[in-house]
Order: sequence, then C-alpha cells, then structure tokens
Amino acid sequence: MRWFAKQRYVIDFTLSSLLRRKGKNTALVLVYTLVVFMLASTMFFTYAIKKEAVIVLDNAPDIVVQRLVAGRHDLIPISYGDRIQKIKGVNSVKPKLWGYYFDSIFGANYTLIVPEDFPHGRGNIAIGYGVAKVSTSQVDYILPFWDHKGSMTSFTIKEILSSESELVSSDLILISEDDFRMLFGIPMEYATNLALKVRNKKELPVIAAKIKKIFPDTRPIIKDELLRTYDSVFNWRSGLLLIILSSAVLAFIIFAWDKASGLSAEERKEIGILKAIGWETSDVILMKFWEGTVISLTSFLAGLLLAYGHVFFSSSILFEPVLKGWAVIYPKFRLVPFIDPYQIAILFFLSVVPYTVATIVPSWRAATVDPDSVMRT
Amino acid sequence: MNRLLAGIVLVLFAYYPAFANERQPIKPKPKDKCPVCGMFTAKYPDFLAQIIFKDGSYITFDGSKDLFKYHIKLTSNNHTRKLAEVDSIYVKDYYNLKFIDAYTAYFVVGSDVFGPMGKELIPFKNEADAKVFNKDHKGKIIVKFEEVTEAVMKSLD
Repeated sequence: MRWFAKQRYVIDFTLSSLLRRKGKNTALVLVYTLVVFMLASTMFFTYAIKKEAVIVLDNAPDIVVQRLVAGRHDLIPISYGDRIQKIKGVNSVKPKLWGYYFDSIFGANYTLIVPEDFPHGRGNIAIGYGVAKVSTSQVDYILPFWDHKGSMTSFTIKEILSSESELVSSDLILISEDDFRMLFGIPMEYATNLALKVRNKKELPVIAAKIKKIFPDTRPIIKDELLRTYDSVFNWRSGLLLIILSSAVLAFIIFAWDKASGLSAEERKEIGILKAIGWETSDVILMKFWEGTVISLTSFLAGLLLAYGHVFFSSSILFEPVLKGWAVIYPKFRLVPFIDPYQIAILFFLSVVPYTVATIVPSWRAATVDPDSVMRT
Repeated sequence: MNRLLAGIVLVLFAYYPAFANERQPIKPKPKDKCPVCGMFTAKYPDFLAQIIFKDGSYITFDGSKDLFKYHIKLTSNNHTRKLAEVDSIYVKDYYNLKFIDAYTAYFVVGSDVFGPMGKELIPFKNEADAKVFNKDHKGKIIVKFEEVTEAVMKSLD
C-alpha cells in the first residue's frame, strides 16, 4: 500500500511539474502523437487491406478460366468446361455468371452474381447492405432494372446480406440464373467464366498450362497468383509510404533525443533543490521515469486511437492517393478493423520504451552530483 | 443363455482376423513419426502412406518411398515385424488425394514432383492417370507394387 501511495505522490508531483512547462511539453506530445499516428495508420491500413484480400479470395476457385477476344475478357462457351473436366486432377468445373450494373436512378454501381444455389427463385433478389442503403429499400421492396433491350423489369428484395467484409458484400446483388440471362441477354450456352476446383494444389500450374494449350483463346488464373499480386502491391505501397515517413521519424528521433537526454540548466537546478530538500537519487529517477512514461504513453495511445479512427472510420483520407491506387474498382468502402497485436507491440517498444529510458539516464547523472554544486552553477 | 453368449463371443474372437482383413485407412496423430526418416507424418498429408497390421497397430510414412524402404526390410528375417503381420497398405492417389490400396496402385518413378523426402514414387489408382502424369511430369517408369525392387529404390536416392 505504501508503495502505491508513494508512486501516487510522485506522479502527482510529476504532472504538476509537467504543467508548469505547458508550452514545451504540449509541443512535444503533439509531435510525438503525430509520428505514432502516421506509423500506426500505415500499419493498420496495410494489415487490414491484406486481411480483406484474404477474405475476398478465401472462397475463390483454385483456377478461374476466362476467355479473351482481342485481349478483352469475353463470354466463355460452357462446352469448354466438358473438355477441361477431362484433364487429370480437375475435380469440378462450374460455369459462373456475374457482372456489373449501373443504376442510373441512384447513380450506383452494383455487382450482380448468380450464386450456385439461389434460394429465393425467379423474380427475387438478395441485396448487400450498401445497395439497401443507397436505394433506401427493405425486404419485400421492389428494385427496378432496365434489361439489355431497354425495357424495365423489377425484382422483389427477399434478403439483405450481411457479411464480415463490407468490401465483398456491400454492392452485391444475388440473382437467379434465368433472371441474370434475361437481364443481360446472355445466351444459355455461355458463362462469364469457369471456376475450377483442384484437389492437389501441386498440380495447378500443369493444369493451367494444359488449359492454355487446349483452348489458346483462354486465360487461366491461379488463385495464388491473385493473392501474390495483392500482397506485393500492398507491400510495395506501404514500403513507399514508410520511406516517405522515415525522414519525419528520423527528425522526431533527433528532436526527442535532444529533449529527453539533455537537461536544461533549469531542470538541473530543480533536481538540485529536490535533493537538497531530502529527495533521494532513486526518487529523482522515479520522477523522471514517470515523466517519460506520461509523455510517451499519452502520445502513443493518442496516436494509436487517432490512427484507428483515421483508417477504419474515415477510410484513410490522408493516404488515399498513395495506398489505394486500385480504388477505381470500388471507390468508397470501409475496412473491417483487423489489428495485429504483434505490430502494436513493436510500435510500443520502438516508441515508449526508448523514450522513457532516454529520459532516465541524464537525470540519474544529474541526481548523483552534489546538490550544492548543482544549485550554484 | 450365458453359455450361448460366451460361445458367440468366442466364435467372434476366433474369426476376428478374418473380419479385419481390409482395415480402413487411419488419420495420423500429430506425434506419429515415419520410422525411416523420423519426420512427423501428419504434417505431410498429401504424400501420406501407411501400413496397418493385423493387430490394429499401424505405421505411417511421409511418402511412398519410405514405405517401400520399410517394406523391403520387412522381408528380411531379422526385423521386429514380419511380413505376415501386415493387413493392408494405403497410399494417396496424386490427383484426388484419397487413400488407395497400394497393392493395386500404379507408381510413377523419376518424375519432377518431389515429396517431403525428395524424389518419390507417385501413386495412382488408374493406369491411365499414371500415364498422363508420367508424360506431364517427365516420369521414367510406371511400376506396380511387387515391381518395386531395390534397384528401383536406388534410382530414387
């Protein structure tokens, strides 16, 4: 109990002594917070977006086969699947139907997908949260569409989807196969692409090469390639940002080191007086320890909180141009908050701990000097 | 009544090995090691091979190469286990990764597909699959279980 009481008194003293030099310390905390904020934002953003990519691609087929006509993605004949099914190692081939629809009434872009077994049947659709919000509709409302011939059809909303990733489901509309074909005028013997399941992942490159050989007008895409692309793109982007930030971080380190390690004559004098009125060296060190902790922990937590809000609530407004080069795919989305405790620990040990240590050493040196001589200088 | 029950139990016991002639493949436990190379076999499910003995005990291998190395030793006299104790042997079909009977399987030797212990004999249920694989992966020969001799094994080391 006495130990706690002592710490409380020391912290009390430290806080009031920090308040006495308001201007200097506020500036320090502000700069410190800014640096932590920048670093944490980058970390949160890249980690969350990589996680998001993994969620998006988790249910992706092992190989996607697209047909290319003059270098452009085109409809693929479903009959291609029969030949591909015969390739050794292919477990299943499924034709997939999906596409985009621009809704001129609400000015929104929807992604339409025909799921494998659509439970609601013809004339009905299931919509994502974002679609529901933009069209202010609920279950059993009607959503109008213009089909490829220009006539209007309406579908009844039977379900509003909720998904762990907003990026995946927000602009999504699930629709039955017949309705999809009718809407876009896609003939029965065509699909958007083919999705393959392959049991032995070692065999993927061989199968992809065989498909390319049998149907030279196709492009087989392996799931790992997609993941690797996402990964390298975001690693590169966060690396770029870190390089830009590194000069700011370096400037801060020099600034903080100077503030923390060099004691001003005034501070020396203060330590001298404290010693003269009966403080022990250990008490002085304790006070300086709390001083460092208060400043660095406050800035660390504030920076972390700001970064969290920045990345997950404001969709990283500040970094948008650098980090989201691909945002054309889906301009506005909110990331699901994923946080890696390991990264936070690293940030903590790189910011709070060194700063606290740096404040203690010089004050220990000052505290061991005879108070009389310190006060005289 | 009691004697009848005892009789049934006795008869069941006497015929027990006959019932168990085709023991089903097992899933390796995390601690199961390959007796040839000492690696944990549960980590390599795609290449898993196993011998199941008549008493229900089993040995798992991290590839059919190690299985054959062990099986060749079984035939020698001074081994702790005897060939007669073996109930069934399973390997995994390369294409669909399901357990198949090793005695009827086709093995491709010398292909460019490597297992956890390097060069492997890659098992297939059908000869047609083995032939396709042999062509795709630059295999040298296709052998049946009894054709795996020490000379074949030497080519894999």
